[in-house]
Amino acid sequence: MKKKFFIGLIFVMIFFTAGGLYLTNSFNQITGILHNIITLQKMEIQKRTLLNKIETVQTDLLVKDSPHAININVFIQHVQQMEHEVQVCTTCHHAPEITTRIESLEEDIKKYQHKLSRVYTLKADRQRLLQELDNAFAAGNQLADKVESIIAASSLTMSDEVSIANYSIADAKKILILLVTIGPFLFLLISFFFVKRFTHSLSVLTEATGKIKSGKLQFRIEEKLQDEFGQLASSFNEMSASLQEQCDLLQETERLAVVGELAAGMAHEIKNPLAGIKVSMEVLSHDLDLEQEDKEVFLQVINEIDRINALLKSLLNYARPPKPQSVFFDVHQVLDATIKSAQYSLKNPPEEDRKDIEFVRDFSPEVQGIVADPGQLQQVFLNLLLNSGDAIAEQGTITIRTRKISNETIEITFSDTGKGIDSAELDQIFKPFFTTKSHGTGLGLAICRRLIQQHSGGTITAANNPEGAGVTFTITLPVEPVNEVIAR
Amino acid sequence: MVNRYSHSAATLILAALLCLVVIGCRDQRTSTSEVTDSPASQTLKIGIVPEKSIFRQKERYAPFAEYLSQKTGLKVELLSLLSYENIIDSIQTRDLDAAFLGSFTGALVLVKLEAQPLVRPQHFDGSSTYHGLIFTRKDSGINTVQDMKGKRFALVDKATTAGWLLPLHYFKEHRIDDPSAWFAEIYFTGTHEDAILDVLDKRADIGAAKNTVFYGMAEKNPRIINELTILTASPPVPSNTLFICQDIEQKTKEILRETLLAMHRNEEGRKALHDLGAAKFIATAEQDFQPVFQYAEEIGLDFALYENESPSVNTPSDR
Repeated sequence: MKKKFFIGLIFVMIFFTAGGLYLTNSFNQITGILHNIITLQKMEIQKRTLLNKIETVQTDLLVKDSPHAININVFIQHVQQMEHEVQVCTTCHHAPEITTRIESLEEDIKKYQHKLSRVYTLKADRQRLLQELDNAFAAGNQLADKVESIIAASSLTMSDEVSIANYSIADAKKILILLVTIGPFLFLLISFFFVKRFTHSLSVLTEATGKIKSGKLQFRIEEKLQDEFGQLASSFNEMSASLQEQCDLLQETERLAVVGELAAGMAHEIKNPLAGIKVSMEVLSHDLDLEQEDKEVFLQVINEIDRINALLKSLLNYARPPKPQSVFFDVHQVLDATIKSAQYSLKNPPEEDRKDIEFVRDFSPEVQGIVADPGQLQQVFLNLLLNSGDAIAEQGTITIRTRKISNETIEITFSDTGKGIDSAELDQIFKPFFTTKSHGTGLGLAICRRLIQQHSGGTITAANNPEGAGVTFTITLPVEPVNEVIAR
Repeated sequence: MVNRYSHSAATLILAALLCLVVIGCRDQRTSTSEVTDSPASQTLKIGIVPEKSIFRQKERYAPFAEYLSQKTGLKVELLSLLSYENIIDSIQTRDLDAAFLGSFTGALVLVKLEAQPLVRPQHFDGSSTYHGLIFTRKDSGINTVQDMKGKRFALVDKATTAGWLLPLHYFKEHRIDDPSAWFAEIYFTGTHEDAILDVLDKRADIGAAKNTVFYGMAEKNPRIINELTILTASPPVPSNTLFICQDIEQKTKEILRETLLAMHRNEEGRKALHDLGAAKFIATAEQDFQPVFQYAEEIGLDFALYENESPSVNTPSDR
């Protein structure tokens, strides 16, 4: 938006600057032409003055022998004025052709002067005197003709200059009208465009804020807003998602608190009586002379008591998991040990439930030691491996893969080739008491997530394998938790 | 009572007289101051003869006039003169205060008007004289006075040594008693320059002019040396001299003389002198004109009676 606003502003500025520059240039050009015209006008006046002086001298010459003849010194003054005028003409800036003609004019004036001098100083017979007078007068007329022709040529140049000036003025006028009329419209158009975009984006954002305010945290701005408003909308959506996540987390925390209280209470109220019951049952089954069938009933009761104890322990683990005791260790070693345990556990079932499972290790050499609680992680890994084993019907593969995502994070995946999880249930599997198993407690994965989350932002996710059957659980862990006391 | 009034009246009259005397003295003092302290108000009219074209002459003398005005505080005004009559009349009627005159006119003025010669130019070659020349075209076939018969003669003016006195001497020397009959045409060009150009351009067959103008023009126009030949020359006479009217204040004359004699000592003066074709001005006295008087005497020309004794030529009425 800011960029476009500046582009628009620059465009308007360029438009007006270009127009202004063109006008300034035109005005300079016109001023130059007008200056030329004024100069030409001055030159024409100068030439006309020269013509006038020539005519004055010619008149002096004609009345020379009449009673109206002027004093010789006045006549000389007239001739000098004529010469002065032509000298002034030569100082003006003319076209080369005119300059040449004016220079030749200077020569002609000198010749004319000489002839005039002869007329005034000569004492001879009438015929010779008339001849000299005619010569001088003819020279004067010729000079006047020449000056007139130069005036005509200059007038032509001036006429051309006037035409050019008129054209330039007309052009400048057009540009000026264009600037005055189109300019404001253009400015308004661009302003309207920006204001419309601005207000529309603002109204979309305001509406979204209203939705969030009313509690619709799942609301997202779907419309693609432009420029900075687009970024703002994206941030807004992220904020909404974060809010929703935080809200869910808060709910989860509240739920955990409730479960914790419940588990603690149950543990306190149930565990001790159960221990008494269990001991009593063991004493009774041992001391009483019971039939084998009755003894099995006692054993079943004791097993159920153990199961209740295990459930209580799981509940306590989930609600109040122990704080991780972080140390630096080789994650691959822990994984190896866990895989061996899982293999052992999976080999022990009765003959009819035994499965053919292959464990594949794909450990990256880039993954070295990490700082975490190896016990808790081993619990998580074992849970996942056993779950994977449960998911495989008869034969399958469990692949354990490690890789370094960044300098700060590693990733561990557990992929099986089992039956997979229904897509609708994938979101539920980490919730407590959710289970797809007939005899499961629904706390295994919930505890796994709690333990992983305790490791400074560790995550655990599950997804069906895209290439076929099976699920992949992905754990990300920080290599070295921040502000963690490390026992190396 | 009457005595008291009489006493008062007498006192008033005396006071009034005293005031008048004071005012009178003050006025007198003011007017004297104006005369002596403001020489710029005095105009010095200097006449110049058409040695060359009248316009060229004005141009040549303009820096001289400006220099003189600047140095003396006088308002120098140049006036062009067309003929000797013009000069005599102008000096007589005091239309001119001074004039640069050729040797002939100078001698005439000395005799008729008792004007005083002040200075004359000394040329770059060190000479301060000139002489007259009679010349013709090399291809004219004119070598002797006999060859001149029926030809056209271009003179300068009846007031010039070179352009009139020399030809008169030549005619007398060769026993031409009636020049108008001997020549097809005798006319006066008015300037030395035109006399030379007329012969060069075949408007006349024979011409007379002063050597300074002749050789000065030849420097710019080689045709003059290549195409013209000199038949005879006059003795040297003083170059154009500045004459001043006798009634001009002695102090002014002295200032003028000193200014002009010192003109070559500064740059501005040298520039003005250069335009006149002179290296400096030298003092000139009446006796410097002796060669002119002697030359005129040889043909029996008396300057005092000059107008009456002027031989008639077929020229139009002089202006």
